Amino acid sequence: MKNKTFRKVEPYIWILPSIILMAVFILIPIIFVFRMALSEVSRAGIIRGFAGFENFTKVMSNPAFKMVLRNTIVWTIAVVVLSTLLGFILALILNNEFRGRKIARAIMVFPWATTLVIQASAWKFIIDTDYGTLNTLLLRLGIIDHAVNWTPTAGAYFAWEIACGIFVTIPFVTFCVLSGLQSIDTTYYEAATVDGASYWQQLFQITLPLVRSSLTVSTVLNIIYVFNSFPIIWTITKGDPANHTDTLVTYLYKLAFYNGKQGQAAAVSVIGFMILLICASVYMVYTLRKGDE
Amino acid sequence: MAKERSPKRIILRVLLYVVVIIVCIVTLYPYFAMFCTALKSRAEIFSINGTILPIKAVWSNFIDIWKRAPMANYMLNSIMIAGGSTIIAMLCGIPAAYALARMKFKGQTVFLGFVIVSQMFAPVVLLVGIYKVMSILSLTNSILGLVFINAAFNQAFTIWLLRGTFMGISPEMEQAATIDGCNRIQGMTKVLLPVAAPGIVTTLIFIFINAWNEYTVALCLISASEREPLTVGINVFNGYNMIEWQYLFAASLFAIVPVVILFMGIEKNLVSGLASGGVKG
Repeated sequence: MKNKTFRKVEPYIWILPSIILMAVFILIPIIFVFRMALSEVSRAGIIRGFAGFENFTKVMSNPAFKMVLRNTIVWTIAVVVLSTLLGFILALILNNEFRGRKIARAIMVFPWATTLVIQASAWKFIIDTDYGTLNTLLLRLGIIDHAVNWTPTAGAYFAWEIACGIFVTIPFVTFCVLSGLQSIDTTYYEAATVDGASYWQQLFQITLPLVRSSLTVSTVLNIIYVFNSFPIIWTITKGDPANHTDTLVTYLYKLAFYNGKQGQAAAVSVIGFMILLICASVYMVYTLRKGDE
Repeated sequence: MAKERSPKRIILRVLLYVVVIIVCIVTLYPYFAMFCTALKSRAEIFSINGTILPIKAVWSNFIDIWKRAPMANYMLNSIMIAGGSTIIAMLCGIPAAYALARMKFKGQTVFLGFVIVSQMFAPVVLLVGIYKVMSILSLTNSILGLVFINAAFNQAFTIWLLRGTFMGISPEMEQAATIDGCNRIQGMTKVLLPVAAPGIVTTLIFIFINAWNEYTVALCLISASEREPLTVGINVFNGYNMIEWQYLFAASLFAIVPVVILFMGIEKNLVSGLASGGVKG
């Protein structure tokens, strides 16, 4: 009898440490963020009382917020779409047998394994107008004859940040797709070749459907990571000039820890989370439904 | 595909190599630029007639950084944060993944669902909340606080990867061990874990790297410079008015190299684990 009750309780004992860890350090912060978003919060972060949607209206009425929101959407879509496309192509290339493939794969690991702050510092140095190595390289190769200002406007800075984001995201896509590609049975292609299918027909009718699940994993995770990515923008521009390169996460960091507006920062967090939730679930439902057809 | 040496095939081969070589060069370029810059003197970096390779390699930059900043301290902090996070994430994650792979219980899907949804919350979005929890536990400005945060936010991956590994191993051997008088814990530690070692090592290294590379939470929570990890600490060379590029990059290389080597070792296992975990998830 005692044994039976133990059997029932046992699984919960096994997952208990994990539950405690995630409850204290993820769930409680989530609850705090929602509570602070709906409260009046002092500069020191002390909750003073219920404020309804005041924090939200304050955030939304700020003209900078509209720009920040637009930047976030541009940033996320540009980085995810382009890195998925390029990463996919690269995976198709690396899936061929060729000499030095192992070395090429090892090299592709570099951007994935490097911390984003350092990666971003390197880019900041490369594109610098006065002493950056991009100008030095192009000057030495004779492609340009005087130093080019690569970042004349805030928009140009933002474009470089997006480029850096794409650069560091590609390897993850490539490796995810590559693992999908390598699990495809080669007899499919042999049969298709016998039937006279062209390369493009094989790509769209065999390869793409079979790597869909790998692509879905990498895309959903990338939407979340890129949306929440902080170090690249923080290192290169800190969101300056005047919020022109801010995304939601850098904006909320400044609100909370520079301006002492923790309630409003929490409201930005909630807005960001809602957007992410909608995007990720729409994408998942869409791809799963397509997969069922 | 046909193996004959048609002209079209040769052109495609050449094209393949060209593209691969270009991709490799572009990928390595930032590292190459960092390495060259780390070897230059300050005057050379800012000179008008710049060169790519250093005219005179100043190897002493790699030694100077240890005197100019508490590099050893940063390194030790990074090791403690990454190591501690890994230990806690594994201690919590192994039993949870084991329960999910080997037992049936009510709320299993709810738990798995929460694990996956927790991935949606990056620490940066929850910073205000995290900061508040940390003040209550008086863990702000402490390495232990970072250890817990990193462990918690890596639980999803840990459970995801380990559950996939465990589910790929047949439970028969453990059942046989139970008949021989082993209890569940012995069955897991003596039978399952040795077989699952490759998957466990992959997970372990992946968490270690994630925690080693973490920047945002450390930036926010740590205010005493002697407790900063490398990712935050090296920015002493990245001042508002003056950036000491040569030192910044020399220090950066110390932060990058060990991790890249570790990552190369697990890349294959990690990717198949992520992909299969996603399909099963």
